[in-house]
Amino acid sequence: MDKVRRSLLIGGASSLALPILAAPFSSLNAAPLKYNLKAQRIANNSYVVIGKTEDYSPENGGDIVNVAFIDTSDGVVLIDTGSSRRYGEALKELIYKTTGKDVIRVYNTHFHPDHCLGNQLFDKKKIAALPQTIKGLKESGEDFSSNLYRILGDWMRGTEVIIPERAINYSSEKFGKHRFEMLPFKGHTDADLAILDHETGVLYAGDICFLDRAATTPHADLEKWHKSLKEIKKIPHKIIIPGHGPADTTSRSIDQTDTYLTWLEENLTKSVKSGKDMIEAAQMPIPEKFQSIDVIKLEIERSVAHLYPKFEEKSLPFLGQGEN
Amino acid sequence: MSKKEAKSNFSKFKQFSCATLLTVALSIPVASISVSAAETSIAIPKDSLNSVMWDFMAKEHLLTDKNSKKIVMNSQILVHTPKVAEDQLNLPVHVDARSVKNAQKIVVIADLNPIPKVLTYEPKQAEARLSFRIKVGQATPIRAAVLDKDGVWHVGGTYVDASGGGCSQPAVAYGNDDWVKRLAEIRGQIWRKPGQEATRLRFSIRHPMDTGLADGIPAFFIEKLEFKGAKGNLLGNLYISEPLSENPTVTLFPILKEATTAVNIKGRDNEGNLIDVAVPAPFQSSALEN
Ligand SMILES: [Zn+2]
Repeated sequence: MDKVRRSLLIGGASSLALPILAAPFSSLNAAPLKYNLKAQRIANNSYVVIGKTEDYSPENGGDIVNVAFIDTSDGVVLIDTGSSRRYGEALKELIYKTTGKDVIRVYNTHFHPDHCLGNQLFDKKKIAALPQTIKGLKESGEDFSSNLYRILGDWMRGTEVIIPERAINYSSEKFGKHRFEMLPFKGHTDADLAILDHETGVLYAGDICFLDRAATTPHADLEKWHKSLKEIKKIPHKIIIPGHGPADTTSRSIDQTDTYLTWLEENLTKSVKSGKDMIEAAQMPIPEKFQSIDVIKLEIERSVAHLYPKFEEKSLPFLGQGEN
Repeated sequence: MSKKEAKSNFSKFKQFSCATLLTVALSIPVASISVSAAETSIAIPKDSLNSVMWDFMAKEHLLTDKNSKKIVMNSQILVHTPKVAEDQLNLPVHVDARSVKNAQKIVVIADLNPIPKVLTYEPKQAEARLSFRIKVGQATPIRAAVLDKDGVWHVGGTYVDASGGGCSQPAVAYGNDDWVKRLAEIRGQIWRKPGQEATRLRFSIRHPMDTGLADGIPAFFIEKLEFKGAKGNLLGNLYISEPLSENPTVTLFPILKEATTAVNIKGRDNEGNLIDVAVPAPFQSSALEN
């Protein structure tokens, strides 16, 4: 199904034979879609492009993630590339307009599509990621991409999955005066890269940290995630750039992500132990302190879908086994 | 079946579920012409969900029951699902048909699935209510049809969008290499809220629930489960079809009069594997909210 839709889009077909497919593509005939990206300066030579704290939608085109770039004397270092080829184009334009330089290094913090489907615009030999990220993207990249074609429609036109060719098996890299320390974590996915710029003290946390936008858990291991948050808290820094949400000068993103995940875990455990099914568990009341977190209701529902079976397996007593 | 075989079966189902469901689903109306299920004078009411498949679903899955006398749309039949299927292999569904007096059976159908029928539940000494998880190949109506003692089908339902990320979600069960060893492992528990007759039984059975629709891949699924109280009294029957999710996890609401009664679950899959287990007596819990 996905392949059908995709090939139709890539081929630029404007009328679709199958009525069942037509709805998501009303945007096909609309005016060309354009991302309105803005660079926010956060430190010396350092800029972030803050994404909307929303879920993917045909309205936002997948502009829902934070991307950062650092203007070094050797060239520009880019952290994550956004959700689509078109986003990558807008980003490249913005980088050139801001710095007048080319990109010499790209990092993909992890394998989720909002962080690496803009890769196409950059030299894949210069794109670096943790080995598990490269593996994950090889395995799931096409599925991710198909799914985004389905949700975002024409925003995705021409987007292809580009696998990073540079595996990060080193602890730091220096460009100009900026020494970038590679900090491999786990928990949000199997491989989550955080990067500390020792020149500016900016800690690019990837999706280990969320701020005022509910954390997502499709590939999460909560225990490992908590451990990573504990470790990241010990790293001296001036400012944190979370994967989603505003730049953070008070480490609030670490605490909020940690508290939210703890609360989520407690509620899932409580729900399983009191006999609730998934539908009932997803209706857990949201405490006052989390009310201001964007898309929290949706993410709780999604997290129940991702995590509940594991909690059931842990909590429901073993009774026996069938015979053959 | 060897581990390897089973694994490849599964990956083929995944492919199938992502790539070919649409074709299969679209071919169903054509098939319906040749099937022409029991021509009948019973009127099929207009579908509140506007599904092109509704008439065929009614003929094929409701009117084939010889007790059918009438079909009515009934908004009191509650079918709860998320709006969007986050994981298309595990869409949670909660059906509540307690508003129907003397419910004989509950049939659950996902119109646009290649195998639309999900299950038939006959609550005997149990509330007309259950929850479970299903596989969906695309956006589809999910409906529950409840047959009462007078032969009236009460039909309710909802529409689920499947554009939320189902295909991108990795399966949980097969990540484990020891799954064959653990085939038909059963977990479960019963809860009772003080003062309430109906208890809550939740159980989960390790099983791949292969649909058999992909080329050369045999269907492999649990067909029937029977629930009995301590005195052999029948609490309910559950007839299951392929679209129920792998590792079926089901919630039922049996009425257990004696505080100390266990529930016996007996059943089989289509390859003759037998399930026979006792779920211990209810756990008295005031923590349970409903
Ligand atoms: Zn992520």
